[in-house]
Amino acid sequence: MKRVRILMAIAAAAMVAGLYLTLTSPTDRLQGEFTRIVNIHAPSMWVAFLAFGVTALASILWLVRKTDRWDRVAEASVETGVLFTATGLFTGMVWGQAVWGRAWDWADPRMASTAVMFFVYIGYLALRRATPDPVMRARRSAILGAIAVVQVPLVYFSVNLFRSLHQTQSIRPDGATMPDAMVIALLVNFVAFTLLYVALTAARVEVAKAEESRSAETVLAGDAVAAPLLSEVEDV
Amino acid sequence: MRLHPVGTHIELEDAGVSLGGQTILRGLTLTVAAAEVLGIAGPNGSGKTTFLRLLATLTAPYRGTGRVLGATLGTSEVYRIRQDIGLIGHIPTVVGELTLRENLQHATRLFGGDTARVERALQVVGLTEAAERKVEQSSYGMLRRTEAARLLITRPKLLLLDEAFSGLDIDAQELIDALITRTTENGGAVVMVSHDAGHLADRASRVLAISAGRLERVA
Amino acid sequence: MTFWDQAVEIARVDLRVERRVGDVLRIILPFAVIALLVFPLALGVDLSAITQLGPAVFWAIGVLFGMQVALRQAADDRPERRDLYSLLGVDPAARFVGRSMSGSVLMLAFMVVLLAATFVLYSPRLPSGWPGPVILALLLTAVGLTELGTLAGEVTAGLRSRTALASLIVAPLAIPLVIGGSQTLESLTRDTSILPWLLLLIATDLALAVAGVALARPLEEASR
Repeated sequence: MKRVRILMAIAAAAMVAGLYLTLTSPTDRLQGEFTRIVNIHAPSMWVAFLAFGVTALASILWLVRKTDRWDRVAEASVETGVLFTATGLFTGMVWGQAVWGRAWDWADPRMASTAVMFFVYIGYLALRRATPDPVMRARRSAILGAIAVVQVPLVYFSVNLFRSLHQTQSIRPDGATMPDAMVIALLVNFVAFTLLYVALTAARVEVAKAEESRSAETVLAGDAVAAPLLSEVEDV
Repeated sequence: MRLHPVGTHIELEDAGVSLGGQTILRGLTLTVAAAEVLGIAGPNGSGKTTFLRLLATLTAPYRGTGRVLGATLGTSEVYRIRQDIGLIGHIPTVVGELTLRENLQHATRLFGGDTARVERALQVVGLTEAAERKVEQSSYGMLRRTEAARLLITRPKLLLLDEAFSGLDIDAQELIDALITRTTENGGAVVMVSHDAGHLADRASRVLAISAGRLERVA
Repeated sequence: MTFWDQAVEIARVDLRVERRVGDVLRIILPFAVIALLVFPLALGVDLSAITQLGPAVFWAIGVLFGMQVALRQAADDRPERRDLYSLLGVDPAARFVGRSMSGSVLMLAFMVVLLAATFVLYSPRLPSGWPGPVILALLLTAVGLTELGTLAGEVTAGLRSRTALASLIVAPLAIPLVIGGSQTLESLTRDTSILPWLLLLIATDLALAVAGVALARPLEEASR
């Protein structure tokens, strides 16, 4: 847990730095103060993609090696990924309402595909919850976790594949389409959110380990049963 | 109003039971008196469970007549005496997502009993430590003990046991025996079915067998 | 224990089980929201048409997926548990009422969240003064659909393909609820009286309640 506390402290410091830059960076002439939402929206979606990618990798590693650690990482990463996807969707809708005049736009394939991705991983969590046996749960989740990641590139490249209202990538290999100060703020937030993802996922893995230890220490079923009080049967 | 019969707890006269269009039991003529333990032997698939369900008023006869605890089978009279019947069936009857304690509390409330007796019942059956376990975390023996605890609270006048001893350890078997003794000492009757005739002979005052859908004396 | 005590106890345990298992909020509700997403994608309609379609899609999906909320209890109702309740002296009518109570609570929560999702995804234009009548219509639809599902569960108890069969029975019988609910909103939009539609919902709910209570014993006996 000490390691987790350190990670949390680092993430917190990075988030504070990111918040400061978010609040002090220049804004777009047309979008005004709503520009700042992109410093939450874009990093959230980046972390979601990262989280589901990590899930896929951990799932494949579990299928190959069958060690509990990879199952814990896969589950923790999905939970964090779902949280950040929800944050990305919500901030996207707030921004859309302010800038486009509508929270949801069917003409934007990235919105719809992101929402579909969100529900796929909700289904992953429901599957885990519905499977009591740990090995069966790990196996089924690993298969779903390895397959579901195909959506990540579909969501990411949807703005390029379909003519869309959604902005295409602002930072590309040939340069950025926004001022340096905004780029710096965005990049710092990307790093901060990534550190937050690592800290949250590590914390969740520790919680899962603690839960497993606790249930392993639980008294065996047979030991919890005492001899009946046959002479007192009439007294109930 | 519950009926309080004296003397005869079960009377069947040429009763028959059919399920899914097929006759399972026929020509059932039988009397079971108060304080009697009747054993019913028979191989798997002979209709023992169907017979118990008939006595539990959960199935009506398609021919003949029958009275259980004074209520005529196949009529609305059975609703008045069902609370006086206790059944341990093939499969433990518990609500899966509840703990053992919650199951007992739920059953006691529905029965109209005093939930203050639940802890005492759990203690007597030896489940105090295990009572917070959910059903899915509990063994078969623990679920059977939970059923026994329920019967300690409901105090049935007619106790029906369907292979109730199978799969149980000695302690749990002695608990079922104690239930049988308590029932008969309080004027109730017990009908127990088993494929193990020796098991029945040790406990029953009379043993019958089901063969070809009919009741026969055991030689 | 009185009839109402038994009904409340059954409702209480049903809700506790749902809180632990979470079928409605964790599985059926997300599934219904996906249906709200899939519908416009499949139709490929333009934004103004989607805005107009919103209320109708809500009622259709709400009722179709709401049936799964109503029928999930039927899936859990094993013969051993029914026998246990019988031998504990539970009135079959109390069991129907208790199941309807717990189901209605879950159904209402389901439909309210689905309504919120519809607002986000379809941006429907609603007339002023809509909340009161729409919430009332939602409540009445939730109760009716639950009663229908509970009854269908009793009718199909012990049968093979029970859940699919129960869905088949419920779907056409739920039409009055769909009409009552959707026309309540339509009437508000056209500024005509909503009373006939609310009365349709109330009458349907009452008829189902009477049928459920009156038929509870015969249905229980028929299921054995």
